[in-house]
Amino acid sequence: MIQLRDVTKIYELNKNDSVTALADVNLDIKEGELVVLKGASGSGKSSILSIIAALSKPTSGEVLVDGKKISKLLDNFASVYRRDNIGFIFQKYNLVPTLSVRDNILLPLVPLNLEESVAQEKLNVVMKLFAIEHKESAIVKNLSGGEQQRVAIARANVNSPKIILADEPTANLDEKLSLAFIEILRELKSLGKTIVIATHDPLFFGLDFVDREIEVHNGKILL
Amino acid sequence: MILSPEILTILILNAIFALFGTVAFVLSVRIFLKWDANATTKTQYALEKQSYLAATIVKYIFAIKVPLFLFFIFTLDKISNVLTGAMCGAGVVDATDYGNYLFVLKIINLYIFAYWIVLHNEDVKHENQPYTKLKFGFFIVAFFLFIGEIILEGIMFGAIDLEEMVSCCGTIYSSSAGSYMAQIFAIGNTTLVSIFYLNYLLITLFFFLKRRYLYSVANLLFIVISIVTLITFFGTYIYELPSHHCAFCYLQSDYYYVGYLIYALLFLGTFYGLVTGFIETDAKNRLRNYKISFAFNTLYVILLSLYPIIFYIKNGVWL
Repeated sequence: MIQLRDVTKIYELNKNDSVTALADVNLDIKEGELVVLKGASGSGKSSILSIIAALSKPTSGEVLVDGKKISKLLDNFASVYRRDNIGFIFQKYNLVPTLSVRDNILLPLVPLNLEESVAQEKLNVVMKLFAIEHKESAIVKNLSGGEQQRVAIARANVNSPKIILADEPTANLDEKLSLAFIEILRELKSLGKTIVIATHDPLFFGLDFVDREIEVHNGKILL
Repeated sequence: MILSPEILTILILNAIFALFGTVAFVLSVRIFLKWDANATTKTQYALEKQSYLAATIVKYIFAIKVPLFLFFIFTLDKISNVLTGAMCGAGVVDATDYGNYLFVLKIINLYIFAYWIVLHNEDVKHENQPYTKLKFGFFIVAFFLFIGEIILEGIMFGAIDLEEMVSCCGTIYSSSAGSYMAQIFAIGNTTLVSIFYLNYLLITLFFFLKRRYLYSVANLLFIVISIVTLITFFGTYIYELPSHHCAFCYLQSDYYYVGYLIYALLFLGTFYGLVTGFIETDAKNRLRNYKISFAFNTLYVILLSLYPIIFYIKNGVWL
């Protein structure tokens, strides 16, 4: 489903200085698979997620999702690809703090111009799934870290994406909330989603429902 | 040499255009030579970023060039006040050997840039960007015309001599022997107006038959025929003066700036008419281009036709 072919990502800092975040990375992820990318900070995990989500382009190489070369998409097509296929859970959630839980979750549906009843139905499904329905009208900035994360997960799923990408999803959570998040992942996996998690949190290692753990080190995948 | 605030504005903007246009030109050459849509190499990804930059530069230049063209006409009108003998922009255009060439080049460039924008919009609608090489190749050619216009404009403003008496539009567009317009006037209004309406009939016919290439050719002819009949025939009804044949005076407040509307309708109608033939697009967009073109051309014909009709109703005679 997701294929990275000889992907290199170099960040140019200035004319004479650059950082190689990924070096000739090859990776195949099957549909419905849950993959944990583990490695230290700066190892290149987030760059892999960012490139799969078409948030950034590789310096060379290609990324295919369902056979489609998403690494070469123009911005307008990349946006549509993300809207239709990707649910992204960010480390800092990237919610709009002054909007309500409801409005934050509904944001990905705005460009679709859905009928209100359809949008409401989708909202109800994800709020129930991620146990946040009791906070529907609450303003996001007033929520706890765990609640904010559940809003972020609900937002990532409201569009029923095939692929869920999570970048250090438990970095701001205590152990109890992290374990709750892991249970949510189990639920998402049972729904048939393809999930890629970038993390260095040991709680994710050795889980029974994780299909593969991949070590990323200095921009390379260690086999 | 004349340096009014308006001319200075134009010259400064031209310098900025030349600078950014050169950047877009260099990038265009690189893209034209090395573009390979299927490649996933470092060079290709870099070119994709550069193509975005080059396209943005060209779009911004065009976005400013359209109002700047109107500003140029406004400037010609304004400086006609300080040129002895000039009554409108026509006198300024005729004041040097370069004015007419510059004016024609400006109109050609306007069509070329508008065509480039349509080509670009069509290109970015497709994931595989089928027109990238074509559009940047086209810009490489257009760049020389664009720089030619900037140079010519500088030369023209530099060559205007305030001490020298220039011709007014009455002389420039006179039908007297010796004038370059004399040969056109010799054809006769009946023939010219017949050709004008016949041309519009062809446009209408090809519009309903959806013959895109013929429709484009008919529009190309319409640009020339419309301007000629506007000067020789319809203009006289706008001015209500049988001997006044100026292509500029109706841009003035005395005629409620109707010239801007006339030229805008002609430009939009014929431009979209040319687009139907010269750009491959899907059926929906092509139909939209047909409709826009036909609507503006029809409005243009109706607007021009109303002047003699209203004049006849009011006065009971033709000019």
